[in-house]
Amino acid sequence: MPPRLNVLTLGRSIPYRPRPQAQWISRPSIGQMPPQVRAYADSKDPQSPAADRSQRIDAQPLPHVSEEAAQTAEITGSEGPDLNQGTPVEEVVKGDKAAEEKLPKVMQDALKSKVNSAPKGSRSYSTMVTPTDGNGEVDMGLINVQPSSATPAMPGLKFEMPTLPLPKDGHLKHRYDDVVEQVTNLIMRHGKKSAAQRDMAMILEQLRTSSTPKIDPSRPLLPGAPPPSHLPHNPVLYLTLAIDSVAPLFRIRSQRGAAGGGVALQMPVPLGRRQRRRIATQWILKAAANKRQTGSGRGSYAQRVASELIAVVEGKSSVWERRGAVHKLGVSVRANIVLPKRR
Amino acid sequence: MMNSSTCLRSFSQLSLDRTAHASLTSRTLLAPQIACFSTSTARYNQKKGMAAAPKRGTRTLNVKKGRKGVNYEMGKRPAPGERKAQRKRIVLSNDNALPVSWLRDLERSNVLEPTIEGQMMGLPERVVDALRAEEAFKPTQGWGLFRRPATLMRKETVQLAGLVKEIEDANAQQQPRTIRRIISGDRMSGKSTLLLQGLAIAHLRDWFVINLPEANDITNAHTDYAPLPGSQPLQYTQDTYTANLLRQMLKANPSILESTPVVTDHKLPFPLPPKPTLKHIVEHGMANPETSWVCFTALWEELSQPGRPPILFAIDSLAHVMRNSEYMSAEFKPIHAFDLTLIRLFVDLLSGQKTLANGGIILGSLSQSNKPLSVVLDHFVTIAEALQSQPAIVPVWNPYLSRDQRVVDALRGLEDPKQKDFDILRLGGLSKPEARAVIEYYAESGMLRHTVNDSFVTEKWSLAGMGNMGELEKASVRLRL
Repeated sequence: MPPRLNVLTLGRSIPYRPRPQAQWISRPSIGQMPPQVRAYADSKDPQSPAADRSQRIDAQPLPHVSEEAAQTAEITGSEGPDLNQGTPVEEVVKGDKAAEEKLPKVMQDALKSKVNSAPKGSRSYSTMVTPTDGNGEVDMGLINVQPSSATPAMPGLKFEMPTLPLPKDGHLKHRYDDVVEQVTNLIMRHGKKSAAQRDMAMILEQLRTSSTPKIDPSRPLLPGAPPPSHLPHNPVLYLTLAIDSVAPLFRIRSQRGAAGGGVALQMPVPLGRRQRRRIATQWILKAAANKRQTGSGRGSYAQRVASELIAVVEGKSSVWERRGAVHKLGVSVRANIVLPKRR
Repeated sequence: MMNSSTCLRSFSQLSLDRTAHASLTSRTLLAPQIACFSTSTARYNQKKGMAAAPKRGTRTLNVKKGRKGVNYEMGKRPAPGERKAQRKRIVLSNDNALPVSWLRDLERSNVLEPTIEGQMMGLPERVVDALRAEEAFKPTQGWGLFRRPATLMRKETVQLAGLVKEIEDANAQQQPRTIRRIISGDRMSGKSTLLLQGLAIAHLRDWFVINLPEANDITNAHTDYAPLPGSQPLQYTQDTYTANLLRQMLKANPSILESTPVVTDHKLPFPLPPKPTLKHIVEHGMANPETSWVCFTALWEELSQPGRPPILFAIDSLAHVMRNSEYMSAEFKPIHAFDLTLIRLFVDLLSGQKTLANGGIILGSLSQSNKPLSVVLDHFVTIAEALQSQPAIVPVWNPYLSRDQRVVDALRGLEDPKQKDFDILRLGGLSKPEARAVIEYYAESGMLRHTVNDSFVTEKWSLAGMGNMGELEKASVRLRL
């Protein structure tokens, strides 16, 4: 049974013909249907919109502009406007300021947007689809987009199988480098992720434009690290290498009451990759925050962090001592680890 | 009766021999000597323990536990101007970037040819020095990522080069023309860079180039000003700013100023050496800011003599000019920016009241990020854009907005479609071949690690809002997530 009241269509057609559209705009086809149901209050034969039940002629409202014109034309015997076409209201009131003010809000807005079509948002470019090439075609830069109509060869699949392996940035939630993402989150203060991302971008920019680092042989980087001349070309690798090289292997856990006599028993606990990176990043950020601020403006913090990262790779940073201290203590307290007895 | 501050000022200036400091390079260095009163230096020189007595009832002892007097001052404070210098530092090369093998240089011979459209072209060293001297490079632009400065000769650049060619052709026929253009466009679409390209073209064609790098710096009342004697209605000179401008002009156009002799007697208030050249006038104006405006007008008259090179006069962020400045008159009324002598000259040229005797281009660039509200300018720019794109629908002025009549009079030529000499230069997005040229340059420089193919270019072009140049750079070489 069809719904009794179709909310998507108007009760009667509005005699309003929009301006012919140059572009094709996709619209949902749901609003296009004629009303299926006649309400009880509606009369049986379709009436003109301006019709009224009043019997007195002078009390009846005036017909619509086009209808009036059509009636006048019928009286005078000339060719009137085609009533099936609706009234081109915009064309009728064009140039008439007083009439334009009386227009419905939708049409007024349309007029206004034509006059002042500048985008209001903060985006630096317009998202309006404008033809850019000479032949007036709208080029949105979509290439190789073909609606796949062919059914996949494998039964039970709706689409084709993806080519394996999946691209590294294929997953929406893991599309960025994991170190960059983690460090960005550690830089973030007060939940301002965008500011942190800006800082991160500036840090990487600093790494990219800095001179080739001189490696200190007494502070070896990770085995298998690329030669230092390659590092500025790949700032993400530079960052990863700096962090992974100073990352501690374990942390010292103090267990209360295990040693007896109120002394905490210290024992080393191995860390996972993400945890190691987190600790190293925190050390580096702390060391950077303690540096003297030389400039002003946005790039100052990023500049200090970047110089600390370079100092790490060059073996000059104090973070290395911190790591050494943790490892030394770990060696001395590893005797406290109680392993399960072997049978 | 002398105003007390003027009096003190003149005393303090007695001790400063201006001519001894002719080699000062930048305004930031010059500024501390000019500004006799400054809050920051006083704070900087403040000795410890010299602070004012504490207020009654405030606790002066630091008695909190475990807190041994927080030391907020970590080490030496940066010297005055040092922070700003770091913030405004222009880096034009990156030693890590790879040199691009196929990059050709712009030259005097090829710069006006339309065949270079859509190619990346390097800027020769002479032009880079001149552009750096006139502060045409901006710190936010991405020059510091590549081995050396290079620009894309986009469609609009070739249009600008065409204007240069028109002027030169007109000069060859002894009919000098003054073409006025306002560069408009979306945010980050490359307006300031187009201005820079215009300056570079003019330098290569041996024009005389004057660039006001940032209109905001002229009108924001950060430099001193003085009424111009004998002006009706009253105008104001900006001596320090003009002196600095003269310095920039000398650094940017050294050969023209050195080789051109002074031919007319300007009745200057100082003696000139025998056989004077324009350089002597400029150097005197640089060293003695009190005479800088006199020197500037003398230089302008000299450049208007027949046989002198055409002039490119450019300004960035034009909207700051089209309103009241931050300066105040003696009656404590705001001074309109048009009453500042430098801007008056520029606006007279832009509106067409004055013309350049030897022809030339007046170029103003809008800014979308640092932009004060100027309804009149916006209105005329939209009118000019509409006249270019769809002449049938030209916007009308909203009668309920108040408007600055002086600005209206200056920009009236924009709504006249018959005035071909005064128009806007609308910057749109790059075309895909242009985007591809840029992206190939990025990849060749080692700043972009990706294979450049059609789908990659198209992806970046679309992400950049259909070829917005700044967004394209953001999407492809910047490492912003």
